Amino acid sequence: MPRSSSLESSATSDCSPTWAAPSRWTRSVAIVNKYFWVFRVTLAERLTYRVDFLLTSIFRFLPLVTTVLLWGAIYQGSGRQELGGGSEGVAFTYREMIAYLLLVQVSRTFSSMPNLATGVAREIRDGSLKRYLIQPLDLVGYHLMHRLAHKLSYMMVAVVPYAAIFWLCRDFFEGWPPPEVIVAWVVSLGLALVLGYLIELSVGLIAFWMLEITSILYIFMTINFFVSGHMLPLDLLPAGWSGLLKALPFSYLAYFPAAVFLGKVAAQELPLGLAMGLAWIVVFWVLVRLLLGRGLRRYSAYGG
Amino acid sequence: MEVETESMTMTMHQSPSVDPERFGVQTDAADRSGRVGGLGRYPRLLGAMLRFSLTHEMAFRANFLIKVLVEVIWLGILLIFYRTVFAQTDLVGGWNQSQYLFFVGCFFALNGLVEAFFLESCQELSDLIRTGDLDSLLLKPIDEQFLISIRRFDWGTVPNVAMGAGVMLSGLSGLDSPPNAAAVAAFVVTFICGLILSYSFLIAIASCSVWMIRNQGLLEIWWLVSNLVRHPREIYKGPWGEPLGWFLTFVAPFLLIVHVPASSMVRVLDWNLVGYTVAATVVVFLVSRRLFRWSIRHYRSAGG
Repeated sequence: MPRSSSLESSATSDCSPTWAAPSRWTRSVAIVNKYFWVFRVTLAERLTYRVDFLLTSIFRFLPLVTTVLLWGAIYQGSGRQELGGGSEGVAFTYREMIAYLLLVQVSRTFSSMPNLATGVAREIRDGSLKRYLIQPLDLVGYHLMHRLAHKLSYMMVAVVPYAAIFWLCRDFFEGWPPPEVIVAWVVSLGLALVLGYLIELSVGLIAFWMLEITSILYIFMTINFFVSGHMLPLDLLPAGWSGLLKALPFSYLAYFPAAVFLGKVAAQELPLGLAMGLAWIVVFWVLVRLLLGRGLRRYSAYGG
Repeated sequence: MEVETESMTMTMHQSPSVDPERFGVQTDAADRSGRVGGLGRYPRLLGAMLRFSLTHEMAFRANFLIKVLVEVIWLGILLIFYRTVFAQTDLVGGWNQSQYLFFVGCFFALNGLVEAFFLESCQELSDLIRTGDLDSLLLKPIDEQFLISIRRFDWGTVPNVAMGAGVMLSGLSGLDSPPNAAAVAAFVVTFICGLILSYSFLIAIASCSVWMIRNQGLLEIWWLVSNLVRHPREIYKGPWGEPLGWFLTFVAPFLLIVHVPASSMVRVLDWNLVGYTVAATVVVFLVSRRLFRWSIRHYRSAGG
């Protein structure tokens, strides 16, 4: 990594007689540079497993075959064009339902963070967390860059099967939504990514107190599968439950972006919805900082 | 606990390291002593494996309880899902809510049994091949397939059987008329067939690890299979649904696993379908056994 030497030289230049305090700009560039390199190295590493990615993304879509058939039978059995929609709720036609279940997969591509919590818990358990204490590296920033590279590398490969499946299922969509909705959808996917990252990181940081968090993670993932709207649109649940689950942060991981794309979030409610997502990011950012601060105070740095 | 483990290890190691039958040696003497030969060693060994797995599981009681809790949550989610669906419709593929509930319970119990008895063992096969540890198992004086299939018993999924039975009973209580004796008999027979079919598919997939060496995808493939079997056959409709349903009934008969026992009990008792299920079970079991033996013949010991 040739750039790292430039980082080192800027660090060692602190001792030189002609040293002048680095400007705020230079320091900012060095910090951005540092995290960019974390991103770049991880990207190169992850692209090594591109066939694995390809298979994973195909596997992710295969269960949709039975889902499409099941919802077909449900709509046929009900004899109705639309399901849901009770007490001012949002209704879904059969085509919208399948489009929703496809779009939820896209939301989850952004918000799921496989192995993040277990990785952080391992760093706490085996003591390798101390590298964040002795190196000029922030745990939250490092893992965020690591994850962004993971996501980018995954998407670079997964775009092929995703495009193929969406093309095959194009009849379930009413065409592209208006540009402002697409912009809101892209923003909501960005929120899903950051919120998914922060929620999973907070679960991982529980390891300061419990060491082994695999079981908690399993419970969290199982519940999240339902409350995030991965299984079915939250609007189909009874009004009280639907309202509650939509207000929780988990709905931003799957339901909200898909609902935005399908125009199920009214134009006047869209800014509020996005602001709520942002507010949840702030809440989890504070929680992560709090957990990290408190956790480091009781951290014993076991291991070599 | 130590005594228990030790006695099992002793049983394993006291047995001759070369299969006498394979080398044409009569095992009558061993039969008479009742220690090594005879069919009695199979249930004895199975009992020892069950005790050993329970001892292992009870050493991590909290982990065991969490595993059970995850399964309880998952069943709860499934029930909420179907309750939500049946709030919108009276029939799904011709099945009413009580009948469908019975189907879900049947799937949960059957899947719980398969995962308890075979999933971990089959998953471990690729590790045995990669490390070369399969050598020692092949040398034991017992059927290799039996030994490999029952090595690890997962007590964590046993409560699923009770939970599934509870859901089945709840479904039965909602039926207009209780099933007759013939339906119950057909259910018992086809439920056992479902178990054998599931096991046969599992061991056939696991056998492929002899060629693939790395078989981390077994769990994913199994998850896909369980996705196919957890819906009734009637949902396979439409231009591509029907050919797929036909394929999954007559070529790769996954759909017989849960559909036939559940349907025989709570819907239509079709003796032709029951007969076909029994015949298909025999064929699939024999084919999977041949595949297993053929793959073992292609095993080239690796490692030290």
